[in-house]
Amino acid sequence: MESKEFIKKLKAYALKSSAIVAFILLWEAAPHLGLIDPIFIPPPSIIAAKIYQLLLSGELLVHTVASLERVFLGFIIALAVALPLGFLIGGWFKTFETAVDPLLQILGQANPFTLFPVFMALLGIGELSKIGIIYWVCQWPVLFNTVSGIKSVDPVYIKVGRSMGLTKFNLFKKVLLPAALPAVFTGIRMSAVFAFFMLIGAEMIGAHSGLGFLIIQSEAVFNMPKMYAAIVSVALLGIAINYVMLKLERRAMSWKEDVAV
Amino acid sequence: MAKIESVNVKKIFKIKKGGNQYDELPALGGVDLKIEQGEFMVIVGPSGCGKSTFLDLVSGLTLPDSGTITIDGKPVTGPGLDRAIVFQQNALFPWRTTLENVEFGLESTNPDRDNRREIALDYLSLVGLSGYHNHYPHQLSGGMKQRVSIARALALNPDIMLMDEPLAALDAQTREFLQRDILRISKESHKTVLFITHSIDEAVFLGDKVAVMSARPGVIKEILDIPLTAEQRAEDDVVATKEFVQSRLILWKLLKEEVVKVQESQIRFQNQAVAQSPARGIGNGLINAVRVLTKI
Ligand SMILES: Nc1ncnc2c1ncn2[C@@H]1O[C@H](COP(=O)(O)OP(=O)(O)O)[C@@H](O)[C@H]1O
Ligand SMILES: [Mg+2]
Repeated sequence: MESKEFIKKLKAYALKSSAIVAFILLWEAAPHLGLIDPIFIPPPSIIAAKIYQLLLSGELLVHTVASLERVFLGFIIALAVALPLGFLIGGWFKTFETAVDPLLQILGQANPFTLFPVFMALLGIGELSKIGIIYWVCQWPVLFNTVSGIKSVDPVYIKVGRSMGLTKFNLFKKVLLPAALPAVFTGIRMSAVFAFFMLIGAEMIGAHSGLGFLIIQSEAVFNMPKMYAAIVSVALLGIAINYVMLKLERRAMSWKEDVAV
Repeated sequence: MAKIESVNVKKIFKIKKGGNQYDELPALGGVDLKIEQGEFMVIVGPSGCGKSTFLDLVSGLTLPDSGTITIDGKPVTGPGLDRAIVFQQNALFPWRTTLENVEFGLESTNPDRDNRREIALDYLSLVGLSGYHNHYPHQLSGGMKQRVSIARALALNPDIMLMDEPLAALDAQTREFLQRDILRISKESHKTVLFITHSIDEAVFLGDKVAVMSARPGVIKEILDIPLTAEQRAEDDVVATKEFVQSRLILWKLLKEEVVKVQESQIRFQNQAVAQSPARGIGNGLINAVRVLTKI
């Protein structure tokens, strides 16, 4: 019985990873078949070896930590600003919301890459401007999702709360907040992904550390295996961040019906 | 003194037309109704006649534009723990287990955790759900969810239960079981109940009295005493008794007039639409007429 289950699971995994495996094999074979130039696109085995070497030397860790630090700071500041603001706008100040919504929408739409020079001009090219731009990108999904999450809470929940004589504060804490949580989490997860995208961009423009810097620097000295090692690390880290966010979300909302996504 | 008394209660909704323009929608046109202590009062009426609006006013969630509602002689100025509401469906908090849902109202009144839990467990078993305290709402059937909603309302030990079509979304069988439980619990605990439905059978089975509401703007058109005894209601063949059949027929006639009114006004409305867009109106008019008739 158990082993049958196990084999079934194994088969599912095999099917799921088949495309990835095929892709890696093809990539590996391509230079040998003369399809691509290994100088520009080295095969996965070389990249893997490079990642391993960078791990051993500690270089990869240094850059990863530098990157994560920036993402984390920008992200935390964004949460600290956007969450309370979102709850305030969505929950209490309806008129205020109507007034500021168009402005916020425009600001949120502004392409952060175009704003980069502005941040550099204002905050210099050091850490501050990088963290600043990450904060800027992160706050919008959190803000918009929180506001719409609060506004779309089923009125019947509020009716139940009010009919049971809840104070305004308790109504917020026990009804609005948990009801809006799924939407809030969507915003948080979106912004974690954005933050990571933005960070790499920021590090490519002016930095002395971080994975984005590692990519640009390797390219400048034409160290292709190292560049690809950094690119792959960025991809893996992105997947890891998304995974952690999903886990946190599941944990916070274990009451949710399991729906396949 | 009546437990609940509504005197000439009117409610007009203002619907924003854009800018500072409002359309007025008179929902209640002067409701007069007296409900005695311990009485089971059912309101029936065509869909959209203002039944929920009236219930909201009794609960204190909204206030009338004119007229007064009093409880034990005191005017209602807002929600109070002497009244608890059971809504049609999906009013349970999905992030709370059934036990936590039932505890919800107690949290503001009863600081003793263990005692709260005890009370909640008692009420869960009263509605036949002991053993389900750790389930989340999405793990329950529609009927079980409504049982939890009823337990949540009862847990506050209110004098008055306000029930807004609590069984409307359930299948016939589940509905019948719940009707019997609601009747039993309300009589055992001496609650005053205001129960809304658009099912005539449900109204006759449950009500000591059935108030028929007119088409919008709603007023109480007639109040019918249901001459069924508690013993008769307990029997399986209560629907075959002379009293049941007669009450049913009277209510049916009263309601039909109101439904026809709704239908005529809808057809009038549709005809206006026909004048504007000939292709779509006629079909919709017929569909709506059928829809209104089959609602009852
Ligand atoms: N908050 C509201 N704002 C505007 N119109 C409302 C509101 N609530 C109900 N109405 C309207 O008032 C009328 C009566 O509604 P309701 O009391 O819900 O009817 P029902 O008898 O079906 O419960 C309907 O026409 C409905 O559209
Ligand atoms: Mg209704």
